[in-house]
Amino acid sequence: MFEPRVRQAGDGLEVTIGDRVLRLRLEPAGDGVFLVREASGSARRLHLARERDRLHLFWDGVVYTLTEEQEGARPTTRQDGGALEAPMPGRVAAVKVAPGQQVSRGDELLVVEAMKMENALRSPRDGRVRAVHAAVGEMVGPGRVLVELEP
Amino acid sequence: MPLFRKLLVANRGEIAVRIVRTCRVLGIPTVAVYSEADRHARHVREADEAVLIGPAEAAQSYLKVPAIVEAARRSGADAVHPGYGFLSQNGDFADAVREAGITFVGPPGDVHRRMGDKKAARRLMSAAGVPVLPGYDGDDQADLTLAAAAVRVGWPVMLKPARGGGGKGMRVVSREEDFLPALESARREARAAFGDDSMVLERYLERPRHVEVQVIADSEGQVLHLGERECSVQRRHQKVVEETPSPALDDTGRRSLCEAGKDAAEAAAYRNAGTVEFLLAPDGRFYFLEMNTRLQVEHPVTEAVTGLDLVRLQLEVAAGRPLPFAQDDLVRSGHALECRLYAEDPENDDLPSPGRVLHLQEPEGPGVRVDSGLAEGSEVSVHYDPLLAKVVTWGRDRPFAIERMRDALRQTVVLGVVTNLARLRAIVEHPAFLAGELHTGFIEEHLRELTPRPCPPLVAIAATAAALQTTRPAAGGASEEPAGDPWSALGGWRLGEAPR
Repeated sequence: MFEPRVRQAGDGLEVTIGDRVLRLRLEPAGDGVFLVREASGSARRLHLARERDRLHLFWDGVVYTLTEEQEGARPTTRQDGGALEAPMPGRVAAVKVAPGQQVSRGDELLVVEAMKMENALRSPRDGRVRAVHAAVGEMVGPGRVLVELEP
Repeated sequence: MPLFRKLLVANRGEIAVRIVRTCRVLGIPTVAVYSEADRHARHVREADEAVLIGPAEAAQSYLKVPAIVEAARRSGADAVHPGYGFLSQNGDFADAVREAGITFVGPPGDVHRRMGDKKAARRLMSAAGVPVLPGYDGDDQADLTLAAAAVRVGWPVMLKPARGGGGKGMRVVSREEDFLPALESARREARAAFGDDSMVLERYLERPRHVEVQVIADSEGQVLHLGERECSVQRRHQKVVEETPSPALDDTGRRSLCEAGKDAAEAAAYRNAGTVEFLLAPDGRFYFLEMNTRLQVEHPVTEAVTGLDLVRLQLEVAAGRPLPFAQDDLVRSGHALECRLYAEDPENDDLPSPGRVLHLQEPEGPGVRVDSGLAEGSEVSVHYDPLLAKVVTWGRDRPFAIERMRDALRQTVVLGVVTNLARLRAIVEHPAFLAGELHTGFIEEHLRELTPRPCPPLVAIAATAAALQTTRPAAGGASEEPAGDPWSALGGWRLGEAPR
């Protein structure tokens, strides 16, 4: 979790993250592109794109994604091992379990089809199925809870 | 005099863009077809005309034969190029185009049907003396028949849809007790992808290399090979990195393999461009896998080392011209690599990751070619294949081609859609890749090293915060800090995608 604070300092910017303070100069270099000069003199390009609460950045050959957390906001459906969520959008091709059924870690609970490939969603732990919230043929989106296990 | 009056590209994404490019060079006007999901797609913008053919689902658009034939007729096209995937190996489509009085750029319907049926293809090759794997290609598809055949062929066994391709519906089974569930799952995927669930069984080779031969044949029956490609770096039967020449073959091995590819094309009475795929065992023996009766995704590496334009050759052959050179005229120079950029998340088991391309930078420079269907703002949807682009490099030898690829991948930026870029970089930097120690299990074998989970350096976070600060709207708007406070808080940021 990063909480940066930025302020003007001379002809550059001073960024404080936790107990670290970094001094940088930024030059725009195109749409979403910045040339970043560090105190050491080295310069690198930063590519940035933002969509709602997501920040995508490219630095030194690698893409990172950051998600903004509003103060006081609490993450909603967290995967706590009790609920299996759809990891990506797709169509439910098969439902392999029913409420009350005992399953083991790694067992196939559901099959979701996306981009013409089938992806089996497996149980994250041993347990008993409490509820199934998906039917064959349904389109499901990411984060939608598909199967609940007894806590 | 252009080869055709007008050409319709019956495809989308990077291959549609690539075909349009050659047509432009040859002075042939082009027609793109698109689904509702592809209204703003790059291939639509680059063609001279575009026709809407249906809703997003492929079955209602890119796979809808009547819609595409109608689009060709209405637009006055006298040729159709099917690209790869979709209807490119569909005999009924080839026939329908021909029946409409339009030239189909590819072999005729009966060749697609014959080679598209892996059972028939195996039998044909075997009869022609092309080596095939021990297996079962019978018409009896009963569960118990297949299970018994698997036992006879010997474990591990590979289940392959008889009418399939691209890795869909394929399963490797090592134990008898896993056979029937694997068969059920494979059949379901095959039905969804190809509308047919009949299966071929083949002995599964351990650590094989996938090597294929590019062939081309004209209407006079002259067949040439254009060299081989190695496509061993795969994930779940989808190719990820391809190259030519294959580091595994010496001149003798190369000659035998390419001759076998030619024999296979002749046995199939082949026309136009195609690829004969083989598995190369560690002992140096090779076995026919299948023939793809269309242009292959990885054709650019062949173009890089031969200087040929394969789409141009396809168009010339389709227009009835003889091949413009003989086998001995073929010269190959240097080494070429291709990396496939997919909308998949290696940190999430390589699952497809749809989204919108917010920001794009494609690499360029000497020896670098990018075939891409991407544009800023394009939607990457669940309805189509996750292949976004191909980065191809050429160098005068393999090490140089690899160095150029490393640099090209470093210059590739796609923001907004998660891609396998980090995986591609890890592959071309891996010592085993450099040493040419490739086989179809390469990615699985080195999976941990090939799945980097980097944490951003603090300076990247600082730079990001600074950039956001400098692009903030003027104070008096959304600003929340008390007046006079020089510090600006930008809230908190967590690495990764938050659960919803």
